[in-house]
Amino acid sequence: MLFVQLLLQGLQVGAIYALTAAGFALIFGATRIFHFAHGSSFALAGYVFIFAMQAGWPWWMGGLAATLTATLFGIGVFWFVYRPIQRHEGSFFTVFVAAFGVGIVVQNLIGMTAGRGFASVDTPLSRAVEVLPDVFLAQVFWVAVGVAAILFAALTLFLTRHNAGVALRALHQNPDLLRAYGLSSTRLSLLAFALGSALAAPAAMVTAMTSGMNEAIGHQVMLISMAATIVGGVGSLRGAALAGLMLGVAESVALNFVDTQWAEAVSFLVLFAFIIFRPSGIFGIAQAR
Amino acid sequence: MIAYLTNLAALAAIFGILASTLNVAVGYAGIFSVAHAVFFGVGAYAGAQIALVLVPDALLAMLVAGLISGALSLCLALPALRVRGEYFVAASLGLQMMATTLFSEWKSVTGGIGGLTGIPRPHVFGVEVGTLPLALAALGLILLATAALMRGAFGRTLRSIRDAESAAEALGKNVAAAKALAVAFACAGAGVAGALFALHMQFVNVESFNLDQSVLIMAMVIIGGTGTLLGPLVGAVILLSLPAGLAFLPFIPATEVGAVQQMVYGLAMTLLMIFRPAGLVGDLSRGKSMA
Amino acid sequence: MSAPVLVCEGLSRSFGGVKAVAGVSLALPAGQVTALVGPNGAGKTTVFNLITGNLRADAGSAMLRGRSIMGLKPHQVARMGVARSFQDLRLFTHMSVRDNVQSATETSAWFWQPGGAAARRAREAATEEALARTGLTDLAEARAIDLAYAERKFLSMARILAARAGIWLLDEPASGLDLASRLRFGALLKEARAQGVAICLIEHNLDVVTELADRIAFLDQGQVLAEGEPQAILKDPKLAAIYFGDRGEAA
Repeated sequence: MLFVQLLLQGLQVGAIYALTAAGFALIFGATRIFHFAHGSSFALAGYVFIFAMQAGWPWWMGGLAATLTATLFGIGVFWFVYRPIQRHEGSFFTVFVAAFGVGIVVQNLIGMTAGRGFASVDTPLSRAVEVLPDVFLAQVFWVAVGVAAILFAALTLFLTRHNAGVALRALHQNPDLLRAYGLSSTRLSLLAFALGSALAAPAAMVTAMTSGMNEAIGHQVMLISMAATIVGGVGSLRGAALAGLMLGVAESVALNFVDTQWAEAVSFLVLFAFIIFRPSGIFGIAQAR
Repeated sequence: MIAYLTNLAALAAIFGILASTLNVAVGYAGIFSVAHAVFFGVGAYAGAQIALVLVPDALLAMLVAGLISGALSLCLALPALRVRGEYFVAASLGLQMMATTLFSEWKSVTGGIGGLTGIPRPHVFGVEVGTLPLALAALGLILLATAALMRGAFGRTLRSIRDAESAAEALGKNVAAAKALAVAFACAGAGVAGALFALHMQFVNVESFNLDQSVLIMAMVIIGGTGTLLGPLVGAVILLSLPAGLAFLPFIPATEVGAVQQMVYGLAMTLLMIFRPAGLVGDLSRGKSMA
Repeated sequence: MSAPVLVCEGLSRSFGGVKAVAGVSLALPAGQVTALVGPNGAGKTTVFNLITGNLRADAGSAMLRGRSIMGLKPHQVARMGVARSFQDLRLFTHMSVRDNVQSATETSAWFWQPGGAAARRAREAATEEALARTGLTDLAEARAIDLAYAERKFLSMARILAARAGIWLLDEPASGLDLASRLRFGALLKEARAQGVAICLIEHNLDVVTELADRIAFLDQGQVLAEGEPQAILKDPKLAAIYFGDRGEAA
């Protein structure tokens, strides 16, 4: 039964990973920017949600505030950091360092204002009930899995039906199409950053309600998002989401065999195995250089 | 006061080694690692164990620490370097996270969170010496070696890979081998710095080898200027003096100095990348279109 | 006519169902210039990539002086005497012109180069000679990124000269050059040809092709449609229709 318990937990964690990873992959696919400050969007959203709940706001207002924060932050980083760097032909290296700096600033701002260490929201949703003999499940599980499923359905619809969504996907596959269709790459990049960052907010809220936040969580989220993007195959949203889910389950199920502090290492091992044996990821295609 | 300055100078030399060696990977070869503190740590634990278990001989500790760190990095880099730059950063970030766990859990070697204490003072050929001259000598030697290598064919190979990897390959350069050598050289240097650090502090624990430390070393290289000999040293001195400088500002509470310091260099990294990507010492147009 | 140095047979490669190169056979004799001509997307650069090991071939063979070079890595092919240039040049942008060229003479990835002082002097001499022949001696200390367009093209050629290879694969080396530069480039190529280098060049400008090429291989949709003397190929109305027709659509 322990295995079932861990599997369910893994699905819950995996749903969160899938959302953040999909956001990261969406941004990377559309803009070719390796958005290292994605974890900061996540951390900010989580803390805003915690503050809102502590201030006695209704949950949907807290959620709205968190989503807005993540979205604005993502757009802001693109507009004020990445765009000026790209204008002088900034390389991956330059963008990475700048984003990393942003991550450090955000982490310490959170540490100074919200205090260091564990912070979480206690809701009736997080109380576990026994659903099967020896298997406990909190309602938040359904929230996590449900929200992830709904958001993916919505995202898929948007990317296949809506004009801007189709353009984003086109950008994924062939940046040259942009000019052919006469679309503005800046506006599409903004859209990608807004959407991708917004996806991190629900994930952060669920995390705040379950395992809790800490000021350094951004690094962890960044690592998972990158790992999922690589394992899933760069350029594939579906792959990133699936890999995120897989990593969550793998981490959780591994608890059957190893101590808690090693759970994170499991993701890293999966990542390393993929880098060595299948660098193009699950859904990736080998690229010519 | 003299003791304070000696301490600061020794630390500056140690971090100077770390920053200069990381610069070989980042600035010359264009290999972006955020796991330099891992190899610093491996060297520190190796050096500390040698001093504790065998003999407190500084040269032996530095040699073994450098060899272990270099060899370990080679084993890890050979598979990891096959992938694109973005992936390598991700892999090194993962390595850093995992190593931090390993350092705090492998208690028989690292002493866990409590660390290793009572590391004896360093000796050279049986005579007790201070760490400052040792660190300065090591820094000098490593700088000399770096300057010689980077000015010659090896440096040209690394820079050509950094600027256009496929063209370097088309000219017959074994890119994977050259990158692996650069990483091994950089990490061996970090190992030497680690042994010096252990002997200097006489105490090491995982706190000195976590992601924050890797980022600090990276910040030194970037703020000082990548791909220059002097830049990383300048960066090391600036960032090491930052806490002391901030302590003089009365409006910052003592408990927040660490956070403010990190914010300052985080902000400095971001602003430099926007306005002056070559760092303080590099020439202006460099780094703009570095591949 | 001398025996070919490089012989490719049936080279094929497809990308996701699209055949970029479908059974290309090509022979490069020493001391001859072979031009690869064809509309955009005909698979010319892909042929280069298959020869140099930048891409794996799905089928086919490439023999260099009787030895197969299929499956070798790009640097291994280069060390066997195949030098190539890129359409987008790929210069070492932040290195000096001299370092760009000297780098082409150094193939060991080790901390130092083999051969000691004598070999080093030979490499330096090769560097200076390549600089002189491309007219870049005065610019030797400038950085590649600061060069003008034509100078960049010649720097790319200087790297190839310094590599002292027996086979050159040149991807649009003369495109965008003014007349004076083109003449200089032609002289370089003729010199190399006289020294027995087997040269294959991708070129769109038919004037350049007529002037320099000994033979033409006409590629379309991944296949060699025709091969022969420049005059014969260029006068074939069917080929001209494909060549200019496709270009007309693209423009």
